[in-house]
Amino acid sequence: MASSSSSGLTFKLHPLVIVNISDHYTRVKSQMNPTLAPHNNATNNGGDGVVSSLPPPRVFGCVIGVQKGRTVEIFNSFELLYDPSTHSLDRPFLEKKQELYKKVFPHFYILGWYSTGSDAEESDMHIHKALMDINESPVYVLLNPAINHSQKDLPVSIFESELHVIDGIPQLIFVRSSYTIETVEAERISVDHVAHLKPSDGGSAATQLAANLTGIHSAIKMLHSRIKVLHHYLLAMEKGDVPCENSLLRQVSSLLRRLPAIESGKFQDDFLMEYNDTLLISYLAMLTNCSSAMNDLVDKFSTAYDRHTRRGGRTAFSECCLVLVSRCLVLDSFDALFQLCRHRFLSSSLCCLGIGY
Amino acid sequence: MDIEQRQSELIDQFVKQASAASNTSAISSVIVDATSHPLLFAFSEILALPNVLQLEATDEKFYLDLLRLFAHGIWSDYKSNADRLPQLVPDQILKLKQLTVLTLAETYKVLPYDQLMQELDVTNVRELEDFLINECMYAGIVRGKLDQLRRCFEVQFAAGRDLRPGQLGNMIQTLSDWLSTSENMLVSIQDKIKWADSMSEVDKKHRKEVEEKVDEVKKSIFKKLHTVSRPTSTSEGMRRSALNLVE
Repeated sequence: MASSSSSGLTFKLHPLVIVNISDHYTRVKSQMNPTLAPHNNATNNGGDGVVSSLPPPRVFGCVIGVQKGRTVEIFNSFELLYDPSTHSLDRPFLEKKQELYKKVFPHFYILGWYSTGSDAEESDMHIHKALMDINESPVYVLLNPAINHSQKDLPVSIFESELHVIDGIPQLIFVRSSYTIETVEAERISVDHVAHLKPSDGGSAATQLAANLTGIHSAIKMLHSRIKVLHHYLLAMEKGDVPCENSLLRQVSSLLRRLPAIESGKFQDDFLMEYNDTLLISYLAMLTNCSSAMNDLVDKFSTAYDRHTRRGGRTAFSECCLVLVSRCLVLDSFDALFQLCRHRFLSSSLCCLGIGY
Repeated sequence: MDIEQRQSELIDQFVKQASAASNTSAISSVIVDATSHPLLFAFSEILALPNVLQLEATDEKFYLDLLRLFAHGIWSDYKSNADRLPQLVPDQILKLKQLTVLTLAETYKVLPYDQLMQELDVTNVRELEDFLINECMYAGIVRGKLDQLRRCFEVQFAAGRDLRPGQLGNMIQTLSDWLSTSENMLVSIQDKIKWADSMSEVDKKHRKEVEEKVDEVKKSIFKKLHTVSRPTSTSEGMRRSALNLVE
């Protein structure tokens, strides 16, 4: 059914569309589950309780966007109801939605429709033809909801319809097209946010540190696998299995020349300075915590022994001593830190803290 | 990488010209064209052609030497062998100097002005900087920063020159070193993650212990207060009992 397209149109897909389609599918699937559960237990004799005995639902909707010349850019999408009896989408609703969207986004047109599943089917052609009166060449965006961990690409494919002559009859068939992902800054931020979801009780420093390190770990792993590929290729070239490709060798040599990237003396200086500044700041935070704890202790001490002020200037004196010692400690530490740190930003923040005291 | 793309068409064109050239003078003129072309920095494809290698045996051998010089050598090589090589046109001199900068960038990342001036036969800093900016950076073969205070040129990126036969082994060695460093890095990161997790476990346990102790002490104080307060309910009695507790 799907060969590669030859219409020459370039497709640009925004991540909002993909997120919308998967959200629609997830909502429908999860809404199906509670009604399925009693069914399952009845039919499976107390079986595994997994609610995937029915085939996954297919969701349908419309995609909208802009077409400029040969470039089709798909920006947004909305959901539509599918009527299984007439095998068509809900037309009046579609038109109402189209009107509403036109008011908000005057430049967006209906470019096509979407659905979920693993491959395009014959029945989809009816829907496709029905949309042809709105847009003479609609696109069909298909999302495959099956999670395949080994697959590296997005499970999204874009189909166009082409008139091919099969057995002497001109028929419309779906042909696959390639597409690129195009993002706006807002979309990039939200996708980034979703990708970095931390566990909800991840307030503690350790889990945040672990998450950060895991990110670095996977990045280095990818770099490692790519260098391995280069390494094998060069080894094969040396042995003579692969013919010597000079331009590639030149590029690799220029890459390798950038390599001792952190060796210089200037880097060491800057790095150590920043490292020391960070340590100083955490030291300062610790000191502040300790002095506030000591302050609390002194207050509690004084309230507990308040009635004894007549009995002994001794306790009042010791209390004043404690307070003075703690204040001196804090001021001394501030002085020392001021002199030690050379970073201008750091000293200005210390200024603000000092004024607070 | 875009330099390679720009050069690939030129390389193909010159390779075709050289293989089509029938006699030695035609080949030598192709060589002269190739070495003076302002955008071409890669000569090993032309060097590999059998027509060109046949020049070894003829009188025009020095054109082959010239091509070899442009592929692997630098400006000072030319000066020392000037009698054996044909006279260079200004375009070729410029190209050879650019290639010299590339070779220097191979070995050092920070090139002092003095060394550059010596290698390129340039007398003052202004000329050197003009050469670096106009001929090297705008041509895209080198990217870097010029530091006037410390009189050096920091190279961030330099295009690759043609490889000498021995350099492939070095490159493979560097790649395997890089691989082992990144593997070690991965292992140490995993250790750090485990350390962070275990430290957080220890911290949680410690916190729980401290809270349990605080609860115990609170309970024991309440018990003592309750037992003491029954016989004497005056404020004096409370004070004395509080003192007893603290001491």
